[in-house]
Amino acid sequence: MSQDLERYHRQMLLPGFGETGQRRLMDAKVLVVGCGALGTVIANMLARAGVGHLVIVDRDFIEITNLQRQVLFDESDVTEGIPKAEAAKRKIAGINSQVTVEAIVDDVNHTNIEKLATGLEGVGKVDLIMDGVDNFETRYLANDVAVKHGIPYIYGGAVGTVGASYAILPHTAPPGETGDTPWEKAERATPCLRCIFEQAPPPGVNPTCDTAGVIGPAVSIVANYQVAEALKVLTGNLDAVSQTMLNIDLWANVFKQFKVARAYDVGECECCKKRNFEFLDGKFGSSTTTLCGRNAVQLNLKSADDDSSAAGNGHKLDFTEIAKRLEAHGRVTANKFMLRADITDNGEPYELTLFNDGRAIVKGTKHANVAKSIYAKYVGA
Amino acid sequence: MSDTVTVRIPTALRPQVGDQESLEVAGGTVADVLGSLNSQYPEFGKRLYKAQGELNRFINVYVNDEDIRFMDNLATALKGGDEVSIVPAIAGG
Repeated sequence: MSQDLERYHRQMLLPGFGETGQRRLMDAKVLVVGCGALGTVIANMLARAGVGHLVIVDRDFIEITNLQRQVLFDESDVTEGIPKAEAAKRKIAGINSQVTVEAIVDDVNHTNIEKLATGLEGVGKVDLIMDGVDNFETRYLANDVAVKHGIPYIYGGAVGTVGASYAILPHTAPPGETGDTPWEKAERATPCLRCIFEQAPPPGVNPTCDTAGVIGPAVSIVANYQVAEALKVLTGNLDAVSQTMLNIDLWANVFKQFKVARAYDVGECECCKKRNFEFLDGKFGSSTTTLCGRNAVQLNLKSADDDSSAAGNGHKLDFTEIAKRLEAHGRVTANKFMLRADITDNGEPYELTLFNDGRAIVKGTKHANVAKSIYAKYVGA
Repeated sequence: MSDTVTVRIPTALRPQVGDQESLEVAGGTVADVLGSLNSQYPEFGKRLYKAQGELNRFINVYVNDEDIRFMDNLATALKGGDEVSIVPAIAGG
């Protein structure tokens, strides 16, 4: 065995894997959308398995309350205020130096997801999209891109003690025709996420990490299940990919596999049947997002069609100048990735975090208008 | 075999049914069973239904492991011992 393969010996022993499967993994490019509870487990296991190229995108930085379940991070990351994607890249460098990681500190939205999945310089079109996301809007975006460009997408979600996962091998041709992808030729295409859940739950209806909490095993089990499906897809074992949706409840001891295969034939899916990519087209979506797990709102201050905005060149915000102005209001810390300031406004404490790509997170409110007001007052919109 | 079916309640809706994970309910169809729960727990019904006779589109209902949308929807017949799972989209991660 050549030396670069030795570390993968135990998985190469598996039937359907072997050196051929391992070489496929090493040639593979995977986009990991979100690097929190699900995403850290996914990135960790894919890197250890030898997936050659990982693109990890996350908009957040690491907090002490993340460490209970987000396995790639440690206390020093919290102290140093390192963004999640960057911290993941550093950890993976020490885990498997054969893996190339692109760390992208950014919000994923309809203006950039297509580029992330198909047009990143030096990467090109990825072979697979992994769901490490904490909201349904971004999931529907990933689903749109997956269907539009024929990229497998593995959904995962978890909250409290429950979780779900499902592998989408998308239909790429109009109904009645067969697309060119290996899974369509093998008659293994599956319904897309919108075939199964036509709509996202409205805000405030479902439990979030805020209201219901979450235990590490719920996310770890879901994420590792996603990784198992990923290994099947990437090694070409399409027959082994599950055609059902996993649902678990670790507290109620329920493990279910729901049959979803008929959803494509029976349904009238806007996305994979009518090929109408409503999320990607920006028909749905918002410029503010209430963040799961925190009393916080993210403001996305990017202009949808303006690549030269603060988002475009990455360093337009002058943290030194902003820090000077904010110091009168409370503690301010900054590094090259972000600026964080404690602000008391109208007697209420907020924590404002600015990122060098133009985003802001206002902690201390769940209301977009309050967050916008804080930003406008102390930074200037 | 018992005459009732087991209805599995998702975490989000348990407060509306007295914090129960599952309930034993009698009824010949999915509509009967959910209707019976709705009259006993009106708050539960409000979360489940978008309009009269129409479920919210972010909630799926499975009988055993089959989606009712691909059977007879709310008119899907039930027999004693069946398991009805109410499954919302799970968003966290």
